[in-house]
Amino acid sequence: MITVENVYKAYSNVQAVAGLSFEARQGEIFGLIGPNGAGKSTMIRMIMNILAPDSGTIRFDGEPLSEADKDRIGYLPEERGLYRKAKLGEVLEYLAAIKGAKPADYRPSIDAWLERFGLSEWKLRKVQELSKGMAQKAQFIGAIAHNPSVVLFDEPFSGLDPLAQDELLAVMVELKQKGVTVLFSTHIMEHAEKICERILLIDKGKEVVYGSMADIKTRYGHNAVQLEFDGDASFVAGLDFVESVVSYPRWIEVELKDGADADLLFRAIAGQLKVRRFETVAPSLHKIFIRIVGGEEAQNVQA
Amino acid sequence: MSRLKHVIRHEFRLTAANKTFVILTILGPFLIFAITVLPALLAQSPGSVASGKPLALYGAPPAVEQALAAAFSGMDIEVERVDDVAAAKASVAEDARIAFLSIEPGWPDGGKAVWYSKSGSEVALYSAASAVLEAAARETRIVESGIDPALVAKVLSPPSFEVIKLDKGGAEEARGSGSFVEALMTVLVFIMLIYMTVLLYGQMIGRSVVTEKTSKTVEIMLSSVKSRDLLFGKILGLGLAGLLQYAVWVSMAFLLKQFVGPLLRLSVPAGISAGNLAWLVVFFILGFFLYSSAYAALGAASEDEQQLGQMAWPLIMFLIVPLVMISTLVSNPDSTLVVVLSLFPMTSPIVMLARVLVSSPPVWQLALCLVLLVAAVAGMAILAAKIFRVGILMTGKRPKLKEVLRWVTVK
Repeated sequence: MITVENVYKAYSNVQAVAGLSFEARQGEIFGLIGPNGAGKSTMIRMIMNILAPDSGTIRFDGEPLSEADKDRIGYLPEERGLYRKAKLGEVLEYLAAIKGAKPADYRPSIDAWLERFGLSEWKLRKVQELSKGMAQKAQFIGAIAHNPSVVLFDEPFSGLDPLAQDELLAVMVELKQKGVTVLFSTHIMEHAEKICERILLIDKGKEVVYGSMADIKTRYGHNAVQLEFDGDASFVAGLDFVESVVSYPRWIEVELKDGADADLLFRAIAGQLKVRRFETVAPSLHKIFIRIVGGEEAQNVQA
Repeated sequence: MSRLKHVIRHEFRLTAANKTFVILTILGPFLIFAITVLPALLAQSPGSVASGKPLALYGAPPAVEQALAAAFSGMDIEVERVDDVAAAKASVAEDARIAFLSIEPGWPDGGKAVWYSKSGSEVALYSAASAVLEAAARETRIVESGIDPALVAKVLSPPSFEVIKLDKGGAEEARGSGSFVEALMTVLVFIMLIYMTVLLYGQMIGRSVVTEKTSKTVEIMLSSVKSRDLLFGKILGLGLAGLLQYAVWVSMAFLLKQFVGPLLRLSVPAGISAGNLAWLVVFFILGFFLYSSAYAALGAASEDEQQLGQMAWPLIMFLIVPLVMISTLVSNPDSTLVVVLSLFPMTSPIVMLARVLVSSPPVWQLALCLVLLVAAVAGMAILAAKIFRVGILMTGKRPKLKEVLRWVTVK
């Protein structure tokens, strides 16, 4: 579907994208993941032909992006902006119309999506009256109202509350089920982990990990334990069978050394902590990212 | 093409569905009416002061009485001779008579002539009376001096002098004494209209481009349409709104001249003719395209509205120069400087329009002006499209002129 080969892009003094190659296949959810400033937006803009790569090729079904291709793509840019003075309904119809969609197709589609996101009553109001979260959803509708077969979402979750984020994840899965190819970027690895079939994890414009989620998990498949508790768990990092620990506000993820058993950990913490949850898991994407890139880099990434 | 149509429609709607636009479109003609016709309306018609009440007259010689009666009958005021001065004053105070003119025996050289009225400010009435008395006094004195009145009349009669405007076809049009002021007024109104609308719409386009750039809406737009369609869609959409506005204004001006003017017995300035209105529209369209292309390019090259404002100054200068020179334009429309400015595309929409209004520029100059203007519009549009394409996505730093010029050469 979308094939990127050895693409480079430099701004005046920063190498934003340094030799990325990947493929987003027909009908899959593909995640472009990395910390802030990793080059995700630059990459997506190049796919949209808004920026030109310094070198390398980007193809749609084997061809360079044509004007006609743009009609079947839905694009949600990282920085949102709609015509603030116009009415929401008019803006959405306009965005669909300039994609070459027919009113008979896009009108019901817009109404259905507005209904879905609870924005129906805002249709005749001006865009500037919408709250940030609503404008975000509105822009999302603008990207998909013309029923595209490929969608590119740049940081689709930013600015949304957790409920709306879940709603958006559900919609993205629905789009995939309808056969739409979904490519999105995020710095929130948990989202990618929930719905992506394949991912490209990048840092400083370079590939860190690329492949299907299942493969990656197997490849880096060490023992890991997620632990939710009350008390001070700082001693866990010092245990001799523990490889590393990632701390979250209310829980930790513990990676065990090869050959170590989760039982060992369970016995070690018994009596020391009030355990609420003890679960053996495959390592999270975040964990994998930290393992490869190193702890310092990972500071910028949210789990 | 169909994408361009959508962009045009969207931009037209954004502009024309705006309250300011509607108000300006409707109020515009009234402003023009106020400037062009109201002065004439105010200067005219002392008759409106009259109320059918008579004027009391005491002690005037019969010749003066006749002359007064003739002068006031035009204003629907009867002249009544009275004998009782006190009663006459009282009748004026009680609003039974409009005024009282008392002429003492021995006038003009001995007795006094006094005008009594309640307000003392009915200029039209007492200046008419004063004119009659002046003429009568002059005649009395001429006769008393033993000079032949016919001889005096002959000496003082004004020599023949006419002002006639010749147009290209050789047709003659007589000009009254007020025609310079009238021409100045008409020219002023027309070129102010062009100046304001071209500037207003140019700035609107520039702002619209900058806003779209800073709000990043342009990224969505460019994921759907070509930058050229976006640029020309904006220009044409706003241009349509401008034309709609002009259509309203021009047809109202025309109605005013054809129907309202004659109805109120007003003299609508001769400059407001169908031909001149057509030239107004032609020069608006060309000036609009020239300046809005330039503004769009500046908008795309600007980082924010402030920078746009700074960069637009040279552009505005070209519009202001003709306004500063308006008196030269009207009094000396065929001087070399004015001819050059009327051919130079950045100033020609205003200067050539002014020349068309006050004189008859040679056909070749008109043709050359239009050719140059159309060529400049085409050139500016190509230039703007190139700057727009690169500039619209450039953010983060203010581009230098050298860099902008490089965008132009990018294929």
